[in-house]
Amino acid sequence: MMRRSTRFSSVRVSGLYAAGPLLLASLSALLMACGGAAVPPQELNDAHAAYNEAAKGPAADLAPAQLDTAKGALATADDSFQKDGPTEKTKDLAYIAQRRAEIAAAEGGREKADRKRAAADKDFKNAQIQGLENYQKTKEALASEKAARVEAERKAAAAMVSLNEIAKVKEESRGVVITLSGSVLFATGKSDLLRIAQDKLNQVATALNDQGFKSIEVLGYTDSVGSAADNDALSLRRAQAVRDYLVTRGVPSEKATAKGLGSSNPVASNNTADGRAENRRVEIVVSPLK
Amino acid sequence: MNVRTWVYWCISGTMLLACGGYPPPHDALSAAQAEVKGAEVGGANENPKAALHVKLAKDQIQKAQQQMSENDNEEAERTLIRAQADADLALALAKEAKSQNDASEASEQVGKLRKEMSK
Repeated sequence: MMRRSTRFSSVRVSGLYAAGPLLLASLSALLMACGGAAVPPQELNDAHAAYNEAAKGPAADLAPAQLDTAKGALATADDSFQKDGPTEKTKDLAYIAQRRAEIAAAEGGREKADRKRAAADKDFKNAQIQGLENYQKTKEALASEKAARVEAERKAAAAMVSLNEIAKVKEESRGVVITLSGSVLFATGKSDLLRIAQDKLNQVATALNDQGFKSIEVLGYTDSVGSAADNDALSLRRAQAVRDYLVTRGVPSEKATAKGLGSSNPVASNNTADGRAENRRVEIVVSPLK
Repeated sequence: MNVRTWVYWCISGTMLLACGGYPPPHDALSAAQAEVKGAEVGGANENPKAALHVKLAKDQIQKAQQQMSENDNEEAERTLIRAQADADLALALAKEAKSQNDASEASEQVGKLRKEMSK
């Protein structure tokens, strides 16, 4: 029976404590009024506040040993207060406990900053490595781009050389003009390609495909002998024959057109046989890429 | 017991009381002074919070020396223990400030490098 009542009263006391600081304050005021019961010195309150502050901060995870030291110092100060009241010794102990708590907080802050720094250093290293990799990649890309350009130029030059052997190649404002003599392509008055013409046009097609182009226009011309209508018609048929043949050799048909211009735009005099032979011709006007 | 013995006891008793019996805390004094020096070497004067505690420690060392000269040796020892705690705190605060400074510098470097790379 006695035991039970003791337990009951202890429950009530802990309930009182749980009721919060207001009740505690009034309780201590009451105790003081009753005489003699001590109020904790400012140093001890400060020490508790400093400890609570430190325990909330990074010290809890990053400086647990220092925080534990602070906790021990605070307990010693509390003990001293419980036993002897707010003596000078209690105040000294509380002063030291406060400093220990502040030291723990500072150590926690230092550790946190050190970790942040380590992470930043790692980031820096990674960024450097990445930067180096990017630089390497850019360098490689530039090198392969340059190699491709050199190769393209070499091919184009080779194509020009081979073309020069079979036809007149001239760079004009309308594009690169490849001029093939009519006499090597067609028999007089005919628009069927000669056997030898096909060989030459094979080379032209190869050169065109190697070099690349935007479009080509095949222009047929005649000399001034005969009627204009006949000449126009013949020149168109011849231009188309060349154009069609080039298409069979891999020139994309949508990029190739043909036009008959008859005896217009003579490149030599029609009064001489040599001049008329020069005027009978097919021009391939190549619009270069870009 | 004769009068002479009485006088002897009285004199020696008075002397003991005057001396206070408590030895001067020379060790605590040199320890506190060493801790203050350590905090200063650790850069405590470069950080305002740490510098405050260096000052507190120095003031208390001075106070303790005064107390020792007045034979308040026990008081002096307690004052010196406070001084040591302040010196310890000053060093911890100085280290914290240095680490924080290093960390933000390192972050800044990373930021600069990343910015340089994204150009």
